[in-house]
Amino acid sequence: MSTMMTVKELCVTTAGDAPEVLLEPISFALKAGEPLTLIGQTGSGKSLLAQALMGNLPGSLEVSGEVWVDQQDVLSLPLSERRRWWGRRLAMLPQEPWSALDPIMAIGEQIGEGHRLVGGLTTVEAEQATRRDLAHLGLEDSYARLPMQMSGGMAQRAAFAAARTGNAPIVIADEPTKGLDRGRRDEVVALLREALGSHGALLTITHDFEVARQLGGKVMILRKGRCLEQGDADSVLSQPTSGYGRELMEAQPERWPEATAAPTDPQRKQAAIERSAPTLSCTPPPGAVLSASALGKSRGGRVLFKDLNLAFRRGDIVGVSGPSGSGKSSLGDVLLGLVAPDEGELWRDPSVQPSRFLKLYQDPPAAFAPYWTMGTLIDDVCRLHRLDSARIAPMLERLGLAPALLDRRPGEMSGGELQRFSILRALLLDPVFLFADEPTSRLDPVTQRETVALLVELAKERDCALLLVSHDEALVTKSCDRIVSL
Amino acid sequence: MKTLTRQGPMTPLLALRRRLPASRMLGLCLLVGLMLFGWGVPLLGGADPYAQDLMHTLEAPGALHPLGTDHLGRSLLARTAEAVRLSLGLAFLSVASAVTIGLVLGVAAGWRRGWGDRLLGALADCVLALPGLLLVLMLAAIAPGSFWTLYLGISLVLWVEVFRLVRSVTQGLMASPQVQASRLLGFGRVYLFRRHLWPALRPQVMTLAAFGAATAILAVSSLGFVSIGLRPPTAELGLMMTELFPYYQEAPWALAQPVLALFLMVLGFILLAGEEPK
Repeated sequence: MSTMMTVKELCVTTAGDAPEVLLEPISFALKAGEPLTLIGQTGSGKSLLAQALMGNLPGSLEVSGEVWVDQQDVLSLPLSERRRWWGRRLAMLPQEPWSALDPIMAIGEQIGEGHRLVGGLTTVEAEQATRRDLAHLGLEDSYARLPMQMSGGMAQRAAFAAARTGNAPIVIADEPTKGLDRGRRDEVVALLREALGSHGALLTITHDFEVARQLGGKVMILRKGRCLEQGDADSVLSQPTSGYGRELMEAQPERWPEATAAPTDPQRKQAAIERSAPTLSCTPPPGAVLSASALGKSRGGRVLFKDLNLAFRRGDIVGVSGPSGSGKSSLGDVLLGLVAPDEGELWRDPSVQPSRFLKLYQDPPAAFAPYWTMGTLIDDVCRLHRLDSARIAPMLERLGLAPALLDRRPGEMSGGELQRFSILRALLLDPVFLFADEPTSRLDPVTQRETVALLVELAKERDCALLLVSHDEALVTKSCDRIVSL
Repeated sequence: MKTLTRQGPMTPLLALRRRLPASRMLGLCLLVGLMLFGWGVPLLGGADPYAQDLMHTLEAPGALHPLGTDHLGRSLLARTAEAVRLSLGLAFLSVASAVTIGLVLGVAAGWRRGWGDRLLGALADCVLALPGLLLVLMLAAIAPGSFWTLYLGISLVLWVEVFRLVRSVTQGLMASPQVQASRLLGFGRVYLFRRHLWPALRPQVMTLAAFGAATAILAVSSLGFVSIGLRPPTAELGLMMTELFPYYQEAPWALAQPVLALFLMVLGFILLAGEEPK
């Protein structure tokens, strides 16, 4: 097995008089036909590493060490030289395909451009090559489509094809499966394996154990810019020796303990699905705070859900799972009255204030006005609803939030802290129904586990119905009492 | 980092100094200087800007007339100060009206899409289709030489840009999770505007306002220069330039005064505006 890339003591620090180490010296070798996967928390320096290898770190950061490819040290090359390598010798797969593709250019043209300008083919050859690529990826009819006319998974495949037009032997994939559901994740992993072939080299950066397991090869676990352990995927992933490695493994939703009050047998759980329940009564079931009968919604000519009967009693923990675009979030928005249903009836307990039906958002920073400190925003809620601000301190403690965080603005906190603040803000109003829309999909596994556990626990403690939406079926199955599959 | 975060009690001026980059600070200083000049000179008990003294025409700056006199022997200090006051006053007034109208209509249109939004959008497009100066000119032709038609014309031109900016920012924000979250929590319109909309709008609207003020000042003096704006004997920069132009050889300092004042005012506003909003 030949070595394609050797990294020696690669280290990233901030520039300036008092440099801060962001990525501690790391060394590894990338071999042909053997994938290497880096696993670590958000903020553990994984993405910095990918950028350092490509040589496109922002100027405010300093990089030291050596990156050898074909007897040349990439880091010592001038930027113009490195740029010529991009796509031809080194290719980086984009993290979010939406932002990597040009929104106003047809997919075929975007890929063809790569074939012409990077691959050096003529216009006719490029078109043929593009059609071949698309057919190979199952996107035959997408040549003339715009990115917005494709699903996330299709866009991901198209971006993949565009990145591979230069036939670079070394591929770096930075979180290629972020936010994808299981089916699509497996698709991307299969694509990566195929790109690797027997002569290529592949470096994948992820926080998903399953991706690493499916890719095989070698694995490294990173935390706070330091390599904790490395070795063969099988041994590291099944029996991590570092404490953090074990913590990370336990945080994968598949390994979570089952929800206590739930029927533990997954078969029975599936049976509890309330889809197409025969009752079509307009009177809500006793004890319910929110109920829907024969609910239906379609979008863009496609039926998202139909004839859905649901009832939420206080303390119910209901999960919704399904692939992206299946209407999970739309269901929650319809139940909250944010989106009107196409058919069916919605009933809310009229004795309960409207502001006790609340929502938690997928992207925590987007759910707060970014210009004010958290303390101001929380005080606003207390003042509006005449709440006793003495309630805040014990809740901060319960949610594991430092009181000093109240002086910070939303942009100055981590995603996990922000999501816990949005839980706090919601709980202040004693909600009877809480719709959590993929509340943890942007958090790393350890934080995700903590956040979901806390959310479920608090919902039960405060007797609040929780609708938990996630593309991760395991997460929903393990934490909810009932499940709706779309 | 440590020295930056350890901030003691700050005077408002120091806080401003930290927030504004050097160029914008320079622009602000220029404008404050011009305002002091414009409003300060009459307070100091200077000469009457309209009092003619045909025995002392085109005098060089001296003890009696610190900036000299024009072709009719009027004190240039008093006249330039009056012209600066007029330009700045008109600019402030029309920008304030334009921003108020643009902000109110923009937020109203962006808040909820519908026929109101479309109607306002069409109106804005109509105004935009006319060259701004032409609109002011048409109004000036209806009531020549009136301060208020100039004010009306300039405000009518300026509000459109504010409106379009505010509308698009509002539309985006109203669809955002942050606003949805606040609405679910029960907050009303005033709160949404104060906490979500205004902080996002403020820097962009302020920049537009500064550019708008520069536009207003240039428009007034252009109209004065081609003698269709304000009428003599009003001291107005464009008008002064036209009047003093025939004497540029005998009294170059006289012509230089309105030119310099105009230059500094526009420069001040453009420096203050900083970057153009995206």
